[in-house]
Amino acid sequence: MANIAMQRIRREFKEVVRSDEQSIKLELQEDNVLSLTGYITGPEKTPYEGGRFHVQITIPETYPFNPPIVKFTTKLWHPNISSQTGVICLDILKDQWAAAMTLRIVLLSLQALLSAAEPDDPQDAVVANQYKTKHSLFQQTARFWAQTFAGAPGPLNPDFQKKIDKFLEVAPRADRHTAIQQLSNFDWNIDKAIEDVYKSD
Amino acid sequence: MSDAHTSSDEDDLYDEGDYYSQSADIESEATEADIEAYHFECVTPEDVDKLFATAVNDLTDKLILQEAGVARMLLHHFQWNCQEVVERYKKNPAQTLALARIRSITVSPDNNNAHFCQTCFQNLRSGEFRSLDCGHQFCADCWTAFLEVQIGQGRSTEIACMSQGCDILAPMEFVLQLIAPKSALLEARYLQFCRNDWIRTHPQLRFCPGRNCQAVIRVEQILAKRVKCSFCQTQFCCRCGGDYHAPADCETIKKWITKCADDSETANYISAHTKDCPMCHVCIEKNGGCNHMQCSGCKYDFCWMCLGDWKTHGSQYYECSRYKENPNIANESVNAQAREALKKYLFYFERWENHAKSLRLEEVMREKIQNRINQKVMAKEGTWIDWQYLLDAAALLAKCRYTLQYTYPYAYFLDPGPRKELFEYQQATLEAEIENLSWKLERAETTQRGELGNQMVIAEKRRSILLKDFLSP
Repeated sequence: MANIAMQRIRREFKEVVRSDEQSIKLELQEDNVLSLTGYITGPEKTPYEGGRFHVQITIPETYPFNPPIVKFTTKLWHPNISSQTGVICLDILKDQWAAAMTLRIVLLSLQALLSAAEPDDPQDAVVANQYKTKHSLFQQTARFWAQTFAGAPGPLNPDFQKKIDKFLEVAPRADRHTAIQQLSNFDWNIDKAIEDVYKSD
Repeated sequence: MSDAHTSSDEDDLYDEGDYYSQSADIESEATEADIEAYHFECVTPEDVDKLFATAVNDLTDKLILQEAGVARMLLHHFQWNCQEVVERYKKNPAQTLALARIRSITVSPDNNNAHFCQTCFQNLRSGEFRSLDCGHQFCADCWTAFLEVQIGQGRSTEIACMSQGCDILAPMEFVLQLIAPKSALLEARYLQFCRNDWIRTHPQLRFCPGRNCQAVIRVEQILAKRVKCSFCQTQFCCRCGGDYHAPADCETIKKWITKCADDSETANYISAHTKDCPMCHVCIEKNGGCNHMQCSGCKYDFCWMCLGDWKTHGSQYYECSRYKENPNIANESVNAQAREALKKYLFYFERWENHAKSLRLEEVMREKIQNRINQKVMAKEGTWIDWQYLLDAAALLAKCRYTLQYTYPYAYFLDPGPRKELFEYQQATLEAEIENLSWKLERAETTQRGELGNQMVIAEKRRSILLKDFLSP
């Protein structure tokens, strides 16, 4: 079984390397064919534009008859991706997987997911709720995350910056990541975000 | 299925012999008027296979199909309703095949690529390629590996084409051809999974819920009736697969069991085994099924349920099974209402538990009766046949108490009103007769045989009246 998986991955790897698509990339992790890193660039006209996002790809022994296990290692603000763990909710990585699909298709599908979220089938309920009820705030937050974690260009939102600094003043034990996560979770309402941190302590 | 072994027929024969055999089964008294009567067959997996094969052959003949696989998939999809399949197929064969995911309406995949396998990315000779009716070609090795994974994950009748977005199903013959040469174990597992899937969609078949039991129950129509597996002797409700629960229905008993599981903490407190004698306050352990207690110290007769004087329970009106709701409840505070709700639940739960316990104790008594009969026969006090009525009485007692136990969940969920009053009246009279029977049976040596016989008839009458009035057919 693993034989078919190895063969497939080698060929798929070549396919992605050879193709001149700039927006996706695939790398082997330490010579182990069953563990790879993928990169996708944020699609144009989305808050993710210009960002470079890493995904960790684990190939099961039963590949390609079972889907690869894929999750984001770059932090990302998106309704179908967990803002905490990077776990992805995408049908082709679950029951809609077909043996004839490839890692290239997976990466392109992830890119498509960044362009068109499915807030009604969320992985992260907090993000999905913000997406549906405060869409412009969602876009600003997603942009801020892309700039902070994925190297997307442009000046950072000064209002968000100020709130992060204030948050870190009041909760000195928290780090910057926690501050961003907390504030984003509470729609950048600093009082609620801080209150929640102390509640969970 | 005429050649299949049908155990209910065998059971009937067996039951007639019961009068003289060891296990006294009152089922033989079942008549046409018996509301609990239910015809069922208990069959083996091999019988089920024959049943499916017959149905498939039938349909293949009727529709003049080339492949049995198509007939099987059609039947499985349409819940083995042969008539419906025939009607649909005659009206629109293409649409019917598409509905059952056997053949898609638009078949046009390109076969030009038949030298390149889309799964392993290898160029191969075309002879090694296989496809389902959709025409999506993959090499035989990939198919086999794919099928192994699918079967390993418990799939069988739902295995579909490997191509993206194609939902055409793999016929059994296709799967077997590829996996049979590879592994006999895999083949056996696949066939077993298929059979299980078919049984699940068949409207007249049910798995026996008994542990490790392979038997299948076959009925005309699945109803909430008692079924007894003739292989493992498990008795269950044919509809929900749980313990038989007349007069309560499947939904009621499910609610009740869930509730009992939730409230197990409070239930612990009430399942204490002892109570004090209301007269002399000596601690009494209940060691028999009968609720008519007599204190061994002061000889006071009392009721185990309410601790009241048994005399008031005697022949008149047995009220111990009736829960009296506090009439002022609407005016009480929320706390008091909660207390009242708990009190109400505990009242019913205590009785439910108590009868379950009595059932277990009476099972012990039945063994004792068996021993006593053996002793008597050895001592030449009558023949074995002479004493069978005692075992018959014990079996009837168990049957009646079982129904009585299940009247409590039913009553708990009944809305107050005349119907509930009638139910509780009948429940009370049934309970009174059962306690009477239990009392007489425990003292069978000093009770007249005729008296015991009368009591048996009365108790069963009460039981059947209650079921007739309250068990929905």
